[in-house]
Amino acid sequence: MTRWLAVAVLMGLSLVRAAGVAGAAEEIALTIENNRFSPEEIKVKAGVPFVLVVTNKDKSPEEFESKELRLEKVVPGGKTLKIQVRALKPGTYPFVGDYHAQTAKGRIVAE
Amino acid sequence: MGATFVVTLREAFEAALLLGIVYAYLDRVGARAQYHWVTLGGALGLMASVAAGVAVSLVSGPLLDLGPDLVAGGVMFAAVGLLTWHGWWMRQHARAVQGQLQHRLDEARATQRLWIVGLIAFTGVFREGAETVLFLWGLASQTNVTGWSGVAGGVLGVVAAAGLGWGIFRGGRRLSLSRFFTGTSLLLLLVAAGLFSSGIGRLVGLGFLPDTEPLWDASWLLRDDSLVGSFLAGLAGYRARPSLLEVIGYLTYLLVAGWLLFGPRRPTPIAPPASSRADALS
Repeated sequence: MTRWLAVAVLMGLSLVRAAGVAGAAEEIALTIENNRFSPEEIKVKAGVPFVLVVTNKDKSPEEFESKELRLEKVVPGGKTLKIQVRALKPGTYPFVGDYHAQTAKGRIVAE
Repeated sequence: MGATFVVTLREAFEAALLLGIVYAYLDRVGARAQYHWVTLGGALGLMASVAAGVAVSLVSGPLLDLGPDLVAGGVMFAAVGLLTWHGWWMRQHARAVQGQLQHRLDEARATQRLWIVGLIAFTGVFREGAETVLFLWGLASQTNVTGWSGVAGGVLGVVAAAGLGWGIFRGGRRLSLSRFFTGTSLLLLLVAAGLFSSGIGRLVGLGFLPDTEPLWDASWLLRDDSLVGSFLAGLAGYRARPSLLEVIGYLTYLLVAGWLLFGPRRPTPIAPPASSRADALS
């Protein structure tokens, strides 16, 4: 089971690489603390893929979710993970922490 | 408390819907003795959800970065396959089970494929199960008054979803057999089409599929993050700004599966079965 999972992950990784999303993409830090994101606005260059490095400093898990970006990702408490984000067209892409949607809000602005 | 209620109600809604339908289905084909497949599938789905929740908290690195996405995507497309298969199978069955009860029983047993409904129950529960488990776990770990009232809301949300599933089960038993088959086939068709296009959306989000322009913007009418919008997303794959690829996926699935489930039936063979012909000859 673990081996299959590892194979699947490797295949997935190579696919992502093939799609040109990974590589030397810029890493942008995003922190979750007290059920809020910081920074709440992230500016990126349009047309260039990037990597969100999300750190959850809270004890409880949070779900990074952006309907616009079609991304949802659970970030367990105290963990850091990377989210590959595709090249975006100019525009504003809101995201929320789905488990604390009233406070955890932010947006990515591609320009 | 209200907020957590809505979150778990939304997450558990799809599972409750599917469980209600497959239980009702077994009831209608006279295979109540096979309920245990659904119960087992649902229970295993719940256990797998807890296991996945624990696993996510233990792993790190690339396994955490991509593992859950691949599992979630795999489960989505597996669920689409299972629901399509079930719909197609139900259609074959519908012809056979219109007869009397005993005949239905024989027919259901003869196919020996009832474990597939257990798989549907499993994927239905597992799909949003891990998220719900993590959500409730996170609430419970905030050991203060607001934390516990949140947990109460979350648990109530799951209970309310189960109540909805029960309502679907009861309602499904009241419909006439042909209405039941048509109704549930349509419902499952929409759920599966929604899952299929959401799966495509996820693949786009992960960079596996190319990004395409949104075809329209209906967020002035119904936003993705509104209550109704999020329920419609679970039920039929609603998106306020669907991309071209998602719309193509949705329509293609509807056309192909719709034809499979509601298209022209194959003519029944006119030739009598071999045994009766032998009787006639002797």
